[in-house]
Amino acid sequence: MICLQTMIEVRNLSQTFQTPKGPLQVLVDVNLDIPKGDFLAVIGRSGAGKSTFLRTLNGLLIPTVGSVRVNGTDITKLPKRELQKYRRTVGFIFQQFNLVGRLSALENVLHGRLGYLPTWRGLLGLYREQDYRIAREQLARVDLLAKENARVDSLSGGQQQRVAIARAMAQEPSLILADEPAANLDPVLSEEVMRTLKRFNEEEGVTVVINIHALELALKYAKRIVAFKRGRVVFDGRPEALSEAAVDDLYERKEMLA
Amino acid sequence: MSALWVYTLLGLLLASLAGVAKGSMRRWTVGAGLALLVAFVAFPFSRARGFLSRDTVDPTLLALTPLFPLLWLIPLGVALALLLTHRGGRPAGVGGVLGGAAALLAAGSWYTQPPQLARLAPVEGAMEALVALVVGGSVALLSLNRLRWRLPLLISAVLAGGLTFLWFHAPQGGGAYLPKSLGYYKLIYPTPEGTQQAIVESYNQSLPELNAIRKELGQEELKPIQSLGDLQGALPAQASSQGYRQVQPSTTQYGAFAVFFLAGVMLGAGLMQLFNPALQEPDDLRAGLLIALVASALIPAFDATEFDLGKLVVGWPFLQQFADKAWPPLLADAASERYPLQEVLSQIAVTVQMALVGTFLAAVFAMPLSFLAARNVTLGSPWMRGVFYTTRLFLNVLRGVPTLIIALILVAAVGLGPFAGVMAIAIHSLTELGKLYSEAIENADKGPVEALESTGAAGANVVRWAILPQVLPLFVSYTIYNFEINFRSSLVLGLVGAGGIGYFINEKMASGQYDQMMVGVIAIVVVVNIIDFASSWLRSRLV
Repeated sequence: MICLQTMIEVRNLSQTFQTPKGPLQVLVDVNLDIPKGDFLAVIGRSGAGKSTFLRTLNGLLIPTVGSVRVNGTDITKLPKRELQKYRRTVGFIFQQFNLVGRLSALENVLHGRLGYLPTWRGLLGLYREQDYRIAREQLARVDLLAKENARVDSLSGGQQQRVAIARAMAQEPSLILADEPAANLDPVLSEEVMRTLKRFNEEEGVTVVINIHALELALKYAKRIVAFKRGRVVFDGRPEALSEAAVDDLYERKEMLA
Repeated sequence: MSALWVYTLLGLLLASLAGVAKGSMRRWTVGAGLALLVAFVAFPFSRARGFLSRDTVDPTLLALTPLFPLLWLIPLGVALALLLTHRGGRPAGVGGVLGGAAALLAAGSWYTQPPQLARLAPVEGAMEALVALVVGGSVALLSLNRLRWRLPLLISAVLAGGLTFLWFHAPQGGGAYLPKSLGYYKLIYPTPEGTQQAIVESYNQSLPELNAIRKELGQEELKPIQSLGDLQGALPAQASSQGYRQVQPSTTQYGAFAVFFLAGVMLGAGLMQLFNPALQEPDDLRAGLLIALVASALIPAFDATEFDLGKLVVGWPFLQQFADKAWPPLLADAASERYPLQEVLSQIAVTVQMALVGTFLAAVFAMPLSFLAARNVTLGSPWMRGVFYTTRLFLNVLRGVPTLIIALILVAAVGLGPFAGVMAIAIHSLTELGKLYSEAIENADKGPVEALESTGAAGANVVRWAILPQVLPLFVSYTIYNFEINFRSSLVLGLVGAGGIGYFINEKMASGQYDQMMVGVIAIVVVVNIIDFASSWLRSRLV
């Protein structure tokens, strides 16, 4: 692997949630460096802490302990305005798409530009000419320009996820976080979403961190695999280095067979 | 007296119908038994009169037991029956029969007693203890699922109960007025031999003095009496203030009807179960408890609302006269230059317009308020939480005030006419819509909110673009529904002078022009149905 400039440094990250049954430790002392332009897949069973990890990377969650430095700034300590400024450079893609169903595809993609507008312009929906240009460009890249005026809830699942990707890309991000982007889609559409993300990664050098439980997809598209088990990093390396035994241990298959 | 046995027959009939329908009989035995216990302790049964009408006491069966110990048969019979129902089958049937029969026997023989002199003995603290128990009980119910809160809540309940006790006992609290019982539960004791004679004598002795006063006032003289019976049920003032009362077993209060009815149910249910022991189900105790609760809430309610179908019979001629005068409706009478239909139509229009303007004003103000009253929008800072609680409090308090009362106040302030009605509707709808809107906001899908937050959009923009598009159709739907309600309440507002068709009807009703009033009534029926239909059609298209 070529030595790349480090973009994200995660140090001693721990996250504990207060639940009715008592405290629940979701992340335990996670340390990770993510270089610029990486395509990193986070794997692990449900409840291993993948989603929590991803949400900590863009400040949707504040960790209990530890720091996340992005290009040198610790984003866990940013004031509200600064955090919003940071978030507009990070695209987030959700498993449930999280689009606004009653609005058109174009309006949804334009939401990716809200972070760059003064609040009052945003409230009135007064996007600038360049915002429209960028939004249409991204819709075209995911092949949905023809549907720009269609209401999002009239689109199919695969099309909706592509709108969500276009929204993330309209932010002109330097980092894309994707939380199980393909889990709600059939295998063909899943591949399509992964290829789209791969293309952005290769053509624009956008760093991609993706949570995924489908191991084949992770091995096929990612440059690097990080495995979480009960909140701890148990594997970190190239896809080829992930042994059968490590996978069995990760998904605790042995115990299930025994 | 015979009316009471009709109630018993009714109870028997109810139980046997339920039994014929294969319902659980044990359930009815338990329910009627528990309700009998409530009636025994809490329902007024007979009447005991003093000097003035406010001296009258309506004692419960429990209060009468010192005077007539046979009444203890009722709780004993019920207790025996409840014990036997626990065993189920034929013994339960025997229990029902015994309990019902015991209650009928005891209550029935009480009614054959002659009127007699008795003494009141207030049981201090009984009502206070009851209040404390009610407070404690409700607290226990509330804290059922919150283990951590149970202890502090119970302690504060005990404290509240104790404070209530002290408050009632303080000198100024002695007069605290619970319905028909001045802070006390009163028992009725028999009087020793010769008391009656003593009262008669002291009355006769005080007569000359009393008659002197009456003469000054120009009233006729009172004659000496031979016995208390000469006073026709009342007592001399002095005896009354000493706590003596004339108990009249044959005057029935609602508790008597309840006891005879419930005893009938119990007897009937017991008999049915004797013949068919299988008429029982596992959860009879719980169901019986429910029956007892409903019965002990319903029976006093019928009495308190003065429910009496006989009044309808008395009022029947008026209804007939009304119908004669109201039909046919008078649409127009050119000869005397009266045009009710024309007036009705314009007043209906005013009513609809009142509802329109009121709903519009309410919606305009509820929109921003509802965001401040939504939990999920106001998470940001402690300051925002403060705004949230203030808005909620404002809406909740104001929602408690009915439109009619707001209208009454406004009519006094701005005068008769539709403006008062419009403002009343607007103010009340504001609170209703504010609540509905803010609930819609709280139930909005969180996904888009999270998505827009992660694009770096400002908080206001997240609300504008992630929440507003989701809730707007709901807002419109709620507003239309609110308009429908407002139209109906603006009809009633007319009655207090706030304009519209209600005012017209009130006026025609007061002047006896029923044929003109009828036009208004028919118009209301038609328009209400049109609006209902249109509103549900519109709303079904929206969501």
